[in-house]
Amino acid sequence: MRIVKIRTRVNGKDIQSEVEPRELLVHFLRENLGLTGVHIGCDTSNCGACTVLVDGKAVKSCTMLAVQVDGREVTTIEGISKNDELHPLQKAFLEKHGLQCGYCTSGMILTSYWLLKNNKNPTEEEIRKNLSGNLCRCTGYQSIIESVKYGAQLMMKEKEKEEQQIEVR
Amino acid sequence: MPTINWNDRELEYDSSRFVKGTGHFVDDIKIQGMLFMTVLRSPYARARIISLKGGISSKDLGAKIASVGEGASEGEASSVEPIFASGFVNYVGQPVAAVFAEDRYKSEDLLDSVEVDYEPLKPVVTIDEALSSPPIHKGMKSNILSEAVKGQDFSDPSSPIVLEDTLENNRISTNPIEPRGLVASFEGGVLNVWASTQAVHSVKNGLAETLGLSKDKVRVMQADTGGAFGSKGGIYPEYAIASFASMKYGKPVKWIETRREHLTSTNPGRGVRGKMKIFSEKNGKITGMKGEIMVDAGAYGSGSGGFSVPFIESMMTGAYAIEKAFVTGKALLTNKVPQGPYRGAGRPEASFFIERMLDLLADEMKMDPADVRLLNMSDKPFNSPLGMKIDAARPFFETAVRELEYRREAKLAKGVGLSFFVLVPGTYTGESARMIVKDGKIGVWLGGNSHGQGHETFIRKLINEELDVSKELVTVYRGDTSVTKDGEGAWGSRSAILIGAAIVAICKKLRTEVEKEFGSYSSESLLSRDHDEYVFDEKPFSLTSFGANLATVEIGRFGNVRVKKCNAYYDVGRALNREMVLGQIHGGMAQGIGQTLHEGLFYSEDGQLITSSISDAGVPLAEDLPNFGVKIAENRSSLPHGAKGLGEAPTIGVPTALIRAVEKASGKRLRKTPVMPEDLIE
Repeated sequence: MRIVKIRTRVNGKDIQSEVEPRELLVHFLRENLGLTGVHIGCDTSNCGACTVLVDGKAVKSCTMLAVQVDGREVTTIEGISKNDELHPLQKAFLEKHGLQCGYCTSGMILTSYWLLKNNKNPTEEEIRKNLSGNLCRCTGYQSIIESVKYGAQLMMKEKEKEEQQIEVR
Repeated sequence: MPTINWNDRELEYDSSRFVKGTGHFVDDIKIQGMLFMTVLRSPYARARIISLKGGISSKDLGAKIASVGEGASEGEASSVEPIFASGFVNYVGQPVAAVFAEDRYKSEDLLDSVEVDYEPLKPVVTIDEALSSPPIHKGMKSNILSEAVKGQDFSDPSSPIVLEDTLENNRISTNPIEPRGLVASFEGGVLNVWASTQAVHSVKNGLAETLGLSKDKVRVMQADTGGAFGSKGGIYPEYAIASFASMKYGKPVKWIETRREHLTSTNPGRGVRGKMKIFSEKNGKITGMKGEIMVDAGAYGSGSGGFSVPFIESMMTGAYAIEKAFVTGKALLTNKVPQGPYRGAGRPEASFFIERMLDLLADEMKMDPADVRLLNMSDKPFNSPLGMKIDAARPFFETAVRELEYRREAKLAKGVGLSFFVLVPGTYTGESARMIVKDGKIGVWLGGNSHGQGHETFIRKLINEELDVSKELVTVYRGDTSVTKDGEGAWGSRSAILIGAAIVAICKKLRTEVEKEFGSYSSESLLSRDHDEYVFDEKPFSLTSFGANLATVEIGRFGNVRVKKCNAYYDVGRALNREMVLGQIHGGMAQGIGQTLHEGLFYSEDGQLITSSISDAGVPLAEDLPNFGVKIAENRSSLPHGAKGLGEAPTIGVPTALIRAVEKASGKRLRKTPVMPEDLIE
C-alpha cells in the first residue's frame, strides 16, 4: 500500500504524519493521534458522532479522508477547552444534562460550536435545524437544545466580560 | 486485565468526561499486539452452504449460542442459533466466517480471502409465509418456535357490540449511537472481556456456557456504554467468536460492529401482530376480549421471540377491568435476524392492541375516548383474567385527564389522541450490589449496568440519605464480574427499583454494624473502618405504575405529520432525581414518536434488508420532534426508597396516543406502526 505524507495542524499543534490514501480522517484522529473523543456511529455521515472542525467548519470525519486535511487545520473536542478550563458549551451540556450515554456528545458540542460561531443567539427552530445532522438516541434532544441555548448565553456573557476588560485597560 | 492501562478513576461512571471527549468506550481500548476481527456474513436470507474456505468458521467453533439475557428462553434444539452458520444460512447478516489482522483495514481486506459457494433457497420472510411454509430448520415440524395461551376460553357472548381488528407493530432497530463491540483477551487461563453492555453477568454466563469454560475463568468488564435500549443485554455470536479467537491466537481481539451490521445482525425489537376481538354492552362497557398474537421471532430461538408471546399476552387487557379474556399466541420462525428486546419489549405491543380497540369502541359508540376508558376502569385494585395485578386505575386516570388538559385540547384541535397504560417492570430475579468502605471512601459496584441512565446520581443520593456520607466520597464503578459475584442487568424499567433496594439494604446492614461497634451511628465511625458488603435481593416483586399521554398533530398536504404536542403524565414513584427522570421520559418519548412515524426495518420479498442505513431505519432528528410537556406524579412505592419503574413508560404510552391523534386528523383508521405519509393521503 502506498504511503502519503501529510502536514496538518490538529488542536493547535503541527503534525506531520504518514497515512494510507484510503485512511479515513476519523481513524487517523483516533488511531494515529489517540484523539478518541471523536466517535464512529453510523459510517454514512448521518449520525454526526464523528463531527470535527476542519478550518473552523463542522464536518463528518467518517466520510473524509485523512489526506484531505493536508495543509488544513483540524479541531476536535479535545481542542476546544483552554488550559483545562471547559468551554462554555461543555459547561452548558453538563449543567443542563445535555447528554445521557455520552456517545454523541462531542459531535453535538462541535456542531453547536460551529452554529454559535455563525449565529450568536439562535432560536430553538434554528438550533433544531442545525443539529439535525447529529443523532442522539437517549435524550429526545430537549436537554441538548437547552444546553445550546444556555451555552450561547454563557458565550455572550464571556464576550461582554472580555470587552469590558479591554475597555478598563 | 493488566494490559489495559485505564486507571482506577477511569473505571467509574462519570458523565463529565463525555463533554471533554475523554470517555472510555470499548473502541477506545488499545492493547499491544491486538487483532481486529471482521465477520463475513451471509448475503442470502436462506441458502445452503456448498463450500467454505478460509477464515475461522463452524469447523473451528461448532458451538451454539447460550440462552442468556433479558427475556432469553430456551428454544427447541434445532432452532438455537449456531455461533457460525453451519450447512445453511438463515438470515442476511448471519456470521459465516471471521478473519483477523492487526488493523481494521487489513482485516476487512482479508474478507476477500474467504471463499463461499451458496445454493440460494426460497426464504420465509413474513409471518404469513411462516404459517404456510415448510419449516426452515430440519428437525422441526413447523415454523412455530413456541406457543402460549393465557386466560380461560369462553364462548362468544351475544353482545350488542362486537368489534374486531388486526393490528401490527413493525420491527425496529434499537440503534444506540454506539454500535456493539468488545475486546477479548485470554491471559493466564482467564478470558478477560471488555464489552459495551447492559449486563456483564449475562455476557459472562453466556460466554462460559458457549465456550465450555467455568464461570470463574471468565471476567467481563463494562466499558462506557453508548446506549443499548435492550440490544446489549445478552451475548451474540460475535462475542463468542472474538473470545474463541483470543484463546486460539493468544492475542487480544477487538470487534466493533458497523452500523450496517447493527441493522442486519443485532436483534431488533417489535415485529408483532395482534388480532383482537372485543365484546361490549350497549353503554360501552367491555365484557370480554379475545386475542391472537403472532411474534416474528426471526431465524432462531436465541432472541426473545419465545419469551415475548406469554409476556405480551399477560398485558393485553391493559389497565382495564375486563372480566373475561382469552389470548392465544405463536412465535414464528422466519429467515430474518432473531428478534430481541427493544425498550418496552412486549409492553408497547400489548398496549397498542388494547388501546387501538378502545379507540375503535369510542368511535363505534360516538363517545369520547376518555369516557370509554373511564367506563372500563375500576375504582379498586383489579386482578386481570390474564394474570396481571393492577392498582385502582380510575382515580389516576381522572387526574391524568385533568393534568394533561385533554378535554380543552380536544375542543381546540382536531388531531388529538389520549392513551393510558400500566407499566409492568421486569423485576425478576432481583439485582446485586456491592459496597466497599476503605480509606474513608465508598466504592459501589452493580450487577446491572448503567448505559446512560445515570445510576451513579441516585446511588449517591440514597447513600447520602441512609448513611449521611457526602456525595463526593462515593464512587460508582462500571460493571465487573470479578467484583460482583452475580447479577442480572439494566433493563425492563428495573434499576431504580432493584438497585435502589439493594443499596438501601446494604446501607441498613452497615448502619447496624456501626451501631453494634460504636454504640451509635455516625458517618465518621462508618468511614473509620473497612467494610465490604454484597447483597443479591432474590425476592422478585412487581410494582406496576400508571401513565397517560396526550398527542396533538397536524398533517401536511403530502401526508407528513407534524407533532405539535407530545405530553405525559406518569407515576414514577418517588423521583430520585428529577432531571434524570425527565431525561429518561424525553428520550423514551422520542423513541415512541420514532416507532409511530419514522422507524422500521423493512425487508424485500427475498429477505434482503431494504433499510440498511441509520437514516433509512428512521431514527428521529432534532427537527422531527416537539418540545415535550412532562408532568410527574410521585406516588411512592412500598419500597423504603419509594421508587417505581420508569424507563419504558414513554415507549408504551406515546405510540398509542400519537397514532390516535393521526387517526383523528386524517379520518383514517390506522392499524400499524410506523404510519407512513402514503397511508394518509388519498
